[in-house]
Parts: sequence; C-alpha cells; structure tokens
Amino acid sequence: MTFALGKGISTSKTDQRGHARGEGILYMVWRRFRRHPGAMAGSIVLALILLSVIAVEFSPYSSDASNMAARFEPPSWAHPMGTDALGRDYLTRVLYGGRISLSVGIMVVAITLCVGVSVGALSGYFRGWLEPVLMRITDAFLTLPAFLVLILLSAIMREIELPFFQRNNVVTIALVIGLLSWMTFARLTRAAILILREMEYVTASQGLGASPHQVIFGHILPNMIGLLVVEATLELGYAIIEESGLSFLGFGIQPPTPSWGNLLSNASEHFIKHPWLAIFPGLMIFLTIISVNYIGDGLRDAFDPHKVLKRMGEV
Amino acid sequence: MRKIHFPTVVLIALITLALAIGLSGCGGGPTPQISATQPPAKTQAPQVTEVIEPSAPPPEPTVAETAVETAAVSESNSITILIPEDPPSFNAVVGDTGYDALVMNLVMLGLTGVDPKGNVYPELAAELPTSENGGVVVDEEAGTMDVTWKLRQDVQWADGTPVTADDVVFTWEAIMNPDTGIWVRGSDYVDSAEKIDDYTMVFHYNTIYPGYLIQLGGEQLVVWPSHYCNADEGFTAWECARQPLSDGPFILNEWTVGDHMTFERNPNYFEAGKPAIDQVIVRTVPDESVRKQMMMQGDADLIMWATEPVVTDLKDKPGINISISPYARWVMRLFPNQAAKGTTDPDASPHPVFSDVRVRRAVRMAIDVDTIANEIFLGYGKPVWSEFYRPPYACDVPRPQYDPDGAKALLDEAGWKDTDGDGIRECHGCETAKEGDLMKVDFYTYAEYGEPLELTQQYIAENLKNIGIDSQLTIYEGSVMWADPESGGIEQNGDFDLDLWDDGYSGIDPTDYLWELYYSSAAEPGNGWNIVRWKNEEFDALLDEAYSLDEARRKEIFCRMAEILDEEVPVIMMFSTINADAYATRLQGIQSNINDVVSWNAADWKVTQ
Amino acid sequence: MAQYIARRLLQAVLLLFVLSIVMFALVNLAPGGPLAGQGQTRRVRPERVAMLKRQFGLDKPLPTQYMIWLVGNDWMRVDLDGDGKPDEYGTRRGVLRGDFGFSFRTRKPVLEEISLRLSNTFYLTVVTLLVAVIIAVPVGILSALKQYSSFDIVATTFSFAGQAIPEFWLGLILILIFYAWLKNPFTGEPLLPSGGMYSLGGEFSIPDRIVHLVLPVTAGALGWIAWYSRFLRSSMLDVLHQEYLRTARAKGLKESRVIYKHGLRNALIPMVTMFALDLPYLITGAVFIETIFSWPGMGRLYYQSAMQRDYPVLMAILIISGALMILSNLAADILYGFLDPRIRYD
Repeated sequence: MTFALGKGISTSKTDQRGHARGEGILYMVWRRFRRHPGAMAGSIVLALILLSVIAVEFSPYSSDASNMAARFEPPSWAHPMGTDALGRDYLTRVLYGGRISLSVGIMVVAITLCVGVSVGALSGYFRGWLEPVLMRITDAFLTLPAFLVLILLSAIMREIELPFFQRNNVVTIALVIGLLSWMTFARLTRAAILILREMEYVTASQGLGASPHQVIFGHILPNMIGLLVVEATLELGYAIIEESGLSFLGFGIQPPTPSWGNLLSNASEHFIKHPWLAIFPGLMIFLTIISVNYIGDGLRDAFDPHKVLKRMGEV
Repeated sequence: MRKIHFPTVVLIALITLALAIGLSGCGGGPTPQISATQPPAKTQAPQVTEVIEPSAPPPEPTVAETAVETAAVSESNSITILIPEDPPSFNAVVGDTGYDALVMNLVMLGLTGVDPKGNVYPELAAELPTSENGGVVVDEEAGTMDVTWKLRQDVQWADGTPVTADDVVFTWEAIMNPDTGIWVRGSDYVDSAEKIDDYTMVFHYNTIYPGYLIQLGGEQLVVWPSHYCNADEGFTAWECARQPLSDGPFILNEWTVGDHMTFERNPNYFEAGKPAIDQVIVRTVPDESVRKQMMMQGDADLIMWATEPVVTDLKDKPGINISISPYARWVMRLFPNQAAKGTTDPDASPHPVFSDVRVRRAVRMAIDVDTIANEIFLGYGKPVWSEFYRPPYACDVPRPQYDPDGAKALLDEAGWKDTDGDGIRECHGCETAKEGDLMKVDFYTYAEYGEPLELTQQYIAENLKNIGIDSQLTIYEGSVMWADPESGGIEQNGDFDLDLWDDGYSGIDPTDYLWELYYSSAAEPGNGWNIVRWKNEEFDALLDEAYSLDEARRKEIFCRMAEILDEEVPVIMMFSTINADAYATRLQGIQSNINDVVSWNAADWKVTQ
Repeated sequence: MAQYIARRLLQAVLLLFVLSIVMFALVNLAPGGPLAGQGQTRRVRPERVAMLKRQFGLDKPLPTQYMIWLVGNDWMRVDLDGDGKPDEYGTRRGVLRGDFGFSFRTRKPVLEEISLRLSNTFYLTVVTLLVAVIIAVPVGILSALKQYSSFDIVATTFSFAGQAIPEFWLGLILILIFYAWLKNPFTGEPLLPSGGMYSLGGEFSIPDRIVHLVLPVTAGALGWIAWYSRFLRSSMLDVLHQEYLRTARAKGLKESRVIYKHGLRNALIPMVTMFALDLPYLITGAVFIETIFSWPGMGRLYYQSAMQRDYPVLMAILIISGALMILSNLAADILYGFLDPRIRYD
C-alpha cells in the first residue's frame, strides 16, 4: 500500500533534523513495534493460537463423536486437555471452539470497521445535513443498553431463516454483535477526520484540486490507520468476550458446535469436580485477549501520530 | 470557573452521590420486605404452651418439650431449604414452577393430598367421598355426578377464623371467574360448587370424572380464605398469594424477594404436636454448584429436585441422604412429527420421513437408551417405554430392543437407502417422500433443562447418524417451544421434525394427560398437545370410554392403549429422569413424592441433633 | 449553554420515544411468548391460553398494545370477560403516568418487581465502581508518572490481564478457591461465603456485609480497574507530553504543581466523561455476577424475564436503561463542556 503523503514534501534521504528516512511509515512502525516486548510476546502467542486453530484439522480426534468409555478424563498424554462429558477430546474441541470464537471476533471487527468508518467518514468530512443525521443515529444506537439488546436480538435471529444465515451460526452472531458495536468506530473516525481535515497537507491537496474521494482515501485515512488498527484490536477482544458471554448464557453459538463461551457454560456444571473443563477455555480466552491487547498497545505506541508527524517534519 | 478545581469538585460530588445511593441500599437491613400478617398475639413463641394439652400425653414427648423450652428460635431447630429461583407467589397453580408448590405446602392446605405411592389422603376433608359412603352420587342416565365433601371442623386460619365450606366455595368460584381465573383440571366438568352447611359442600359434575378426588387438592390446588383474600383482585393476582394467611404447619414470617423466605411454626396447626420444627428458611441460590457446596458445608438442609449430578456428588457424603422416588414423573421422549414441518395436517401434508411407522420403529431401535440413562444421567435414568409404567395402571409391554442393525434393515425395507456413500440415506422407493430426498431432519430440544439434555440430544444425533439419518441440532427456550400458535410456538405450529423433551402426568390418573397427548382432536393447533399429529380411531374410542369410575374396565382399556401405542410409536419414550431430593441427615421424615413436591409432609418433619 | 442543554433535552425525549418503539418491536419480535408452559406443565390448555391472553392484553394488535403501554386504557372500555363486548374501563394508566403494567410471571406491578431488586443492584454496582475508581485512579496516575518503571510494568500487566479475564469465569474460579478450597484458619468454615448479600437470621452487621461483598466486588471490579487505570494512564501520558506543561515548567512552577494542577485536571476530563457514560452499568451491568453469586438484582431479573418473555418487565428495564444512557450521555457532554474550555457548544 502506498501512502500518498501529498506533494510538497522533500524527498531527500534525511529530513530537516537529520533523521534517516526509511521506506515509509510501515517500516518505521514495525521498528517501533519490535521494541515493545509485550507486543512481540503477544504476537507470538496469538500466532501460536492462530496456528493451532488451523492445525486442529489434523487432530486424530473428532470434535463431535462421543466416546462414552472415556468421559471426564483428566489431562494426560493421550488427551492433553482431558476429555469432556461425552468423552470427546477436549483439546480438539477447545481449538475448534477457538476457530469459531476467533471467526466471530474477526467478522465483528470487519463489520464494525466498514460500517463505523463509513458513517464516521461521511459525517466528519462532508458535514452539512449528513452529519447531524448520522450522528443522531449513532447516538440512538449508543443509548441502547448493548448487552440487554444483544440477548433479545440473538433470540430473534435464532428463528429467522434467511438464505445465507443458518440459525446462530458465526455470521448471525457476528452480525448481531457488530450491529451494536460499530458506534465506537464512527465516533473515532469522525473525531479524527475533524482534526485531520484541517491539516495543512489536506488543504494543500484540496487546493490542488483533489476530489473528496482522493482526499479521504489518499490523505486522511492513511493517517488514521494507526488509530483504526489500535481500535480494531481492542474491538477484537471485546467481540470475543461478548460472544463468550452470550454463549455462556445460552444465547450465542449452539452446541454441539463448540465455542469458548459455550464450553465454559457446559463446564460450569462440573467445574468443581473436573476443573480442567473450565480452566482451559477460559485460559484460551484470556491468552487471546491479552495478546491482542498487548499487540494493540504496541501498535498504539508504534503508530503514535505525534511521532510519525514529527518524523515527517510536519510538526 | 477556572478558580475552582472542577474535576476535583465533580469527583467529590460523584463519590458523595454514589455513597449516598450505596448506603441507601444497605442501610437498615434487608430491602423492602413482604411480611405476613401478624395474627393478633397468637404466634409469639411463649404462646406455644397453649398448644400442648397436658391431659393427652403426646406420643413423642421429647419433641413437644423441645418446642416448649425454646422461647426463641434456636439454630438447632431451624432448617434451610435451597431452591434455584424465587417462587413468583404462593399460588402454585398460577406460577406453576414447583417452587411455589414447595412454599405453598408449608402454609396452606387442600381438600386432599396425594402420597408418594399415589394414594389420595384427606387434608381438610374429614373423609374421602366414595360411592360406598355416599359421598359420590352418579346419575347413570344423565351421565352426571355429585361429589359431597365433608370438612374437618378443627382447622383454623392463623387469625383464629375456622376453615369452612365458605372458603372452599369461594376458592372454586375465584378459579372459575372468567375475568381473573385460571383453567384447572376438571374445570370443564364442574357445573357448580354449592355450600350445604358450614362444613359440607357439593361439586356438581356434568360428566363422570374419575379425577374428582383431587379437584381442590393434590399438587397445586389449595383452599384460600374467603374473609382474607380479595375476590376483586382476582385469583391470579390477589395479594393474599404474596402474604398468605396460613392454616398449614408454618406461617410466613418474612419474604425478601429474590433472596429468601422465613417461616415459623404455626402453634395452632390442627395436628397436635406438629410441626416439630420451629423455623424454616427457604433460600434462593441460582447456581447449582453453589447449592451443592452449601449442602456439603452444612449450610443447608434440603435441596429440592436434586438433579443427577447433584445426587451423584452428594450421596456418599457424610451427613447427607438422598430420597429418591421409586417412580418418576418426567419421561424423556422423542416426538417425531408426522405432518410435514411447518404444517399441522398429517393427511394433507404427511412428513416425508416420519409419517412411515417403520421409520419411527427404526428410530426407536437405533437409540441406545441404556447408555444415556447410565452415563449421561449417571445411572439414575430408568428406561421407560410405555405411558403405563407406574401403578395402579402398569401394563406389561415388552421392552423394545436396542438394535441398530435391525433399524438399518427396517429403513432399507422402507425404501431409504444410502447409494452415494455419504452416510446419509436417500429415498429410493420410499412411500412418503420424493425420489432422492435426503433423510435430514431438524432436531430440537429446550434450554432450561441444562447440560444433560444437551448431551442427550448430541448422543441421539449420533445414534441417528449411525443408521443414516442426518440431523441439525438447535436448542430453544421453553417459552418458544411451547408457546401458543399465534406467538410462534414451535410445537403448536408443527415447526419441527424431531423434538426431544420430557413430559409426564402427576397423580394417579392419566386420562386427561392421554387426551392432551394422543387424542385426534388434540392435534389441532391451540386445541391440545398432540404435536406429533397422530390420529387413531381405536385409541380415540377407548379414551372416550375411559371416562368412567369402573376401575376394572379402565385397566383393560389402558392396557389395550399400551399395545396400540407400542405398535404405532407416535412418541418414542426412552427413560424417566430422577425425582429426588437431597437432605441433611439431621432432618428426618423426608420422602420424595412425584405426585407433589417434597414439602408435602412438612408437618411430619423432625430435626435430630 | 442553557439553550444547548434545552435542545439536547428535547432531543433526548424524542430519542427515548423512538427507542421505546424500537424496544417494543424487538421484544415482541422475539419468537415465543409468555403463555408457554414454563415450569411444571409444559402444555398449557387452550382455554387457559385465551384467558391469559385477555388478562395480559396480548389479544390486541401490536400498535394498540403499544399505545396502551404508553398511555394506558383507563379512558376506554375494555372487554374483560371475553364475550366480545367491552364492558368496563381498563385499569392501566400507561407509562407516561408512571404505570409500567404488571409482570406476566408474578402478576405484580412491574415497578414493584424492579424496586425490590434495584437497591440490591445499586448496592453491589456502586461499591464495585467505587472500589474500582479508588484503586484505578492512583494506579493510573502513578503508572503514567513513572512510565516504564517496574511499577508501571506490573500495573500495566495486571491491567491487561484484568481486561482479558471473562467476568463469569473469574466468578466461578473465585468461588472455587475461596469457598470450596480455602478454609478460615480459626473456624474451619469456608473462608468466604459463596453468595447472598448477608447471612440470614443475624442482625445487620457491617463485617458480615463486607464479607459477602468481597468476592462479587472482586470479580466485578477487576475489569473496571484494568480498564480505568489503563485509560487514565494513557490520558495522563497524553497530557504530560503536551506543550503547555513545558510552558508551566519553564515558568518555574514546582513539578508537583505542574502535574497536579495542570496535568491531572486535564487528564481526568476524559475519564470523568468516560465514567459518566458507564453509569448505566449501575442498573443492568452485573448480570453474570448476580447469577453466579446469587445476588437478587436487576441483571438476573432481566435474564429471567428474557427467557420467559415477560414483556412488561423487559420493556421497563430496557426503557429505564435507555433513559439512563441518554441522560448519562448528556451529562458526559455537559461535563466535558464545563471542564474543557476548548469545547464550546452553540
């Protein structure tokens, strides 16, 4: 992805302060990110988790077939996470559950990004009559008590049979959660745009005749990337917890499809006698979210717009 | 504005506000309570001495003496019962949760009760009316009958007023009030209730109704005080169901809604020397593992309706006993829809898979009931394969075999074969579906039961997969499964292929229950619960005849019905789930009762040290 | 400013109205109904269904139901006995006059049901938020002041961890540890109770209340502490790097005065507004905690009503939460306007 930084910036090898110029913002960001120990650790853990939920395809155990002779076995070499109430290998189920929970999370981020950024950009850039309308809609959504409405919505969506959505599959849940969380992005985008649009390079390119489309996608959004990426990582963590909470209450992903939330819910009946059933899914949620948060923190430090702008000689 | 430190001020203001609100929540002790009417001076503990009659030596002097000695309630003579949800009120027939029946039994009495063996015993009634003693008079020609109830004359409400026939008639009329009443069993058959004298009243029936003994008794119905309950408020909403006036063994002391209720002994209870317990506390603890912990730590004395896991965990613990009913009421069963999904007429639109009786038989053969009962239900599930499994109407029906190979053969014979090797059968020459249709079904169950039911659903899905039937699993809330047709109720609208839930009748008379589940006109949406849409003329005719008082003939009828149900398999019955209550050994007299709830004999309970 | 507030209030009322329609639609769209056999009898007899529908007012078309919910029906004649002829006036006064109807489950007025539980929830959530703020603010400030010190690293790690732990999981684990495994060394009883607000039968005693609060508040506050301390830290860091602090230092002010008078105040502004936005948590936020720790509160009431489709209670809780959110948004904006002189509303 190329960043059009606008015309009028020198292209010499060093800037006014003598700092070396790299290949662009991405490289700088990466360098800063690398120096953040938490973020690196988080990336490694998350990469491991992602790898495992993909690799579970090769598990010798099935996630559905029961094995009544081996119920409730504690962790062992054959079953590193033990077995569950129907004798199924728990590691397999937890990893498949990870697939589901992560898919929901990623989809929610995608949905909220698209919807939120569009709304925010439209209202922040164009202002006029569009802004108050969109902002009122955003406010209206913000005043909905999110979790309460989530419960109702998922009860409704459970019944609706649309061609694409099966009952309570990943897409439906993601849609429902996304519907109630895009507002943060909208507000963020709008606030950022309100500031960025006053920046000199923007007015410069507008003066040079760039269309709104070019300005937004060429100048403003690239400089908001940092903000958006950080917020997106937070949103991922949030979405995973919301899905777990919903499934824990029985409204989210339906058994026998595992998700970390409904695995925890089933475990709550047995957790005193068979604590591993509750420990592992919760641990996975914990590890995923803490990695994601550290990555987000690292990205925030790496993308610090103040530092980026300084480097460009703008500030 | 800049001179004052605004953030500080704001913070302080917020903290003060928060403190104020918080203190309002915890100041002064428990939140607004509902306290029972305090009868004038009669329930002060010292007055307990009035109950003990020095002339008649009580059979268990130790118990009576302890009651006299303790002027204040000592912890040793107080018991704690744990339930998962707060009863909505004391009116069990309105709330219908079972936990309302628990507390209702502590304070109120019905005309009769039913014991664990299914025998009806008199409570407020002086004796049970029968044809022999003239209590029941049948007019054979008109097909009507009159049942005369004679009441005990020694029962009083806690305020001293005697319990009379006025109360019985008042209760019945409040129930029957079209504005604010409720439907109860037998409502359609009773024309009127008439007071004869202070302690005698008559129910006039317009048909011969075998269930007359529990017309105002049994699990959910009691007699309400006419001078205390306000008929204008209506039977379903009257305040006296939240602040009851007691004629039972205990009196409600206080109720902190959502948290606990406290009861104290009723000194004027009509059975001398009873109850032997001074205080009963009923606590709401929604989490099952926490309830279990509390029992194990000795913080509670009774868990009502202990589930299989709780029983398994508690049965070997010292100091805890389990009372298990020999027969259970709730039988887990599969309902294969004989009308196509989304329709309700099995003749106009028969179900492509389940309208063929061979398929239903094959499904029955394919389910490994023993494994489910022993593993998932921890050995407490008891295989049940006929509606007529408990006395007095137990019939001898041979048990269907677990035979997956036989099931496969039967499906082949019925025209369902798997030709493309994907593990799912298709219709090749079947009678009920189009050529090539897949054998796929939507398989539902309900959420409130909990994990064992979910596991059962998954395991049965595997059994079905094993014989080539593919299923898509979903779990719904009960409020969706059993809602009325207009509200989108799944069962009523036939919006399912295969359903899994537990059902059963209470008491000893299955006639009404059989009508609801199997009679042909009960298949119409909104008219009954024949949700599998099964129609059988012989069965209908037999059921019509069963509304009689001729017990010998009824037994014959029921056993013939058992045969029909076994052949036609409209409903696949599997096993009954446990009916048990867990209690501390210091609490004696506990007997689980499938025809009521565990507090049915609370007056007889004792605490030993 | 006054004009702004007036305008916002008017918008708030309109918004609430729209919200109520949306909620009403949502609540009724959910399949199933309150007439389903809950509890013992799965199967509700048809006669009972018709009677219940009339009693609950569910036999009317949806717009009529909404209108009755809003303005009541005591000004029109209702058909009470189902014979098709309206006879008496209704008894509902409508939400606009403070009558939220009666609960389908218990037949008692909704406001009574709610008020019986509201103070319990407030009690829990206020203490939780207070504890969270009391711990989070100093931790956040110190973290920012001593950025990258070991205190900061430990605090940040804890805050990351705290945000990553699901509340319901934490609650169960805490019960496992403090009720099932650990015992009080003096009495041999469990170290902490597993639930409830207070021990039954005893007098009102603060130590008893505190003991019952420890676990639920810990489980609930951890997330808040993590969130607020991190938020305050970053907000404080933003402020600390600003130019005007440099100016203040250049003017020769004491460092502490620089930090507290200028820096902290500006760092707290976003946090105060954040806090205002979180106020609705006070009413409905503690669903999981209440369920796991047997706390008789609003969250549990909502969950139960949702499962059983107790529409009036659901509507009441949703509207009250919605109103609270609107008000807290407004409060946050106004506060922000007061506190940050850069923001001007016109």
